[in-house]
Amino acid sequence: MAKSANIPRVVLVGLASCFGCQINITNVEKHLMEVLGQIDMRYWQLTSSDPMPERMDVAVIEGAVTTQEAKDTVERLRERADVVVTIGACANTAGIPGLALRGYDGRQQEVYGSHVPSLVEDDAIAPQAVHGVIEVDYEVACCPIDALDFVRTLQSALYGSNAYRRTSTLCGECKRNERGCFFGRETLCLGLVTRSGCGAKCPNLGRPCNGCAGLSPDANVESARKAAERSNIDVAAFDGALEIFNMTGLGEQRV
Amino acid sequence: MLYRVINADELPALIDAFMEDYEVIAPVARGRSFAFEPIESFDDIVLDYPTTLTSLKKYYLPARETLFEFNTGGSGEGIEAYELTVKPRVLFGAHACDVNAMNNLNLVFDDARYPDPYYEAHRKATMIVGISCSPTSTCFCHLLESDEVRSGYDLFLTDIGGRYFVSIGSVEAANILEAACDPREATDEDRGAFRKVTRARQAAFDEDIPHIQEIPMLMDAFHSDAFWDELGGRCLSCTACSSVCPTCYCFDIVDVLDPSGKTGRRDRVWDACTSPQFALVTGGHNFRDSARERVRHRMYHKLNGFNSQHGRYLCVGCGRCVRACKADISPIEVLRFFEEKGADDAE
Repeated sequence: MAKSANIPRVVLVGLASCFGCQINITNVEKHLMEVLGQIDMRYWQLTSSDPMPERMDVAVIEGAVTTQEAKDTVERLRERADVVVTIGACANTAGIPGLALRGYDGRQQEVYGSHVPSLVEDDAIAPQAVHGVIEVDYEVACCPIDALDFVRTLQSALYGSNAYRRTSTLCGECKRNERGCFFGRETLCLGLVTRSGCGAKCPNLGRPCNGCAGLSPDANVESARKAAERSNIDVAAFDGALEIFNMTGLGEQRV
Repeated sequence: MLYRVINADELPALIDAFMEDYEVIAPVARGRSFAFEPIESFDDIVLDYPTTLTSLKKYYLPARETLFEFNTGGSGEGIEAYELTVKPRVLFGAHACDVNAMNNLNLVFDDARYPDPYYEAHRKATMIVGISCSPTSTCFCHLLESDEVRSGYDLFLTDIGGRYFVSIGSVEAANILEAACDPREATDEDRGAFRKVTRARQAAFDEDIPHIQEIPMLMDAFHSDAFWDELGGRCLSCTACSSVCPTCYCFDIVDVLDPSGKTGRRDRVWDACTSPQFALVTGGHNFRDSARERVRHRMYHKLNGFNSQHGRYLCVGCGRCVRACKADISPIEVLRFFEEKGADDAE
């Protein structure tokens, strides 16, 4: 990955998001310096105003693509970086910004009437996950990301890895935590269709999964709806909950 | 096999005796369910628990286990010698199906061609004390020859009303029993009570779960049936089935780097043939790239494949997957399918 003896050059860019994933990276103070010691952090929006470099080895992207400017940025990053890593639900599934997808057409007029500011009219585009614009090599899931998961993924990009990211959904991990099922209590949980990998942290703390890791490419949404029905869970509520983090993912599934 | 009888009120003394030298792991209440966990005292144990959410497998093959540690930089470069030490322990309160499940895992890991020092360390440190049970609505061990257990335990306690009929499987456990309790020879009355509870248990299984003869043969005969499309079409690819299964033993091996990027460890983690990437190989080919094939494969291993190698079903009919699968996929569905096929043929 690294160019000859050079230290790998990394940039971290934030798009439409709350910046919480970047904040979460700074929260692993204990390990931050040893991670930064392995890379040449050329650009980090959150911490420095240095300009974006011309070339880099790894581009890390947080946030959804909601403007033409953001679209140009990720396309430029793809050209300049060998590896692209997206972090967090916004970047991976369009996340919360993706909620704007429903009824997007006409929304500008609805808000601004006949005088849509040119900045909005010219620049705003329908929200997309980064992988909807460019090819993405690694994804770090969830809202927010687990910072150590990010570190492991960055290391996979830098050094390679024999760990393969699975598309199995969450219930298997939940059962490893020896947790009973929310469905048995007629409580809505999105673990049935959400990609595993987080370790089922929320159910382990007594909170149902809200799908922030994104729909698994192998999610069987139809079967999960039937399972919800059998457990006296309102299917419309199931679908509604699924949209919070998976508006674009559901669209892709329907295609 | 030696048999003795102890009074029910002697059980706390037996547990106390075990706790002197062993960690005692037993069924305890957990939320609305039950789990095997280390206990502090006899009172923690729920003797008449219906089943547990997950099995005893975790004590032989943990969901994640470090195989060794490594160092990639500096003077300490290399693999660090790693020896697994397991605290001696007693798994108390295992039902017959679960003891049979461990016997099945032993058949797999006790293969001289592929020694597994980690599994062996867990096994050597473990005593099993089984206990009799009453079938729940999801139990079908009696249909897969796992409702009785003939070996693989140190003690097996059968509740015969106010006292326990104790089958003794090891000298070590017999000595502890002898020292802690006042075991007596079984009387005709005890033997009569034993037969009575055994018959009552046999009669308590849910008769709606069909009793099918020649399951392995039927598995082969209906290998291409559309039934598997239907079953696979429901699969959520969540792998909950294998997480709760006492006999799913497949694993993956992954290297985990520390944040420093210099040190790390090689871990063994549970894998599952119902995971979409389970049969994905280098080059990108996936030998079972649809849920139909994955679900079918799992059922075949449980009800057919293991039989041809080891002469017994891998599935022990514990019913945990029946509860865990939100898509209602389980060996019981396979048995029902065979029953329907039989009814079709009879028409």
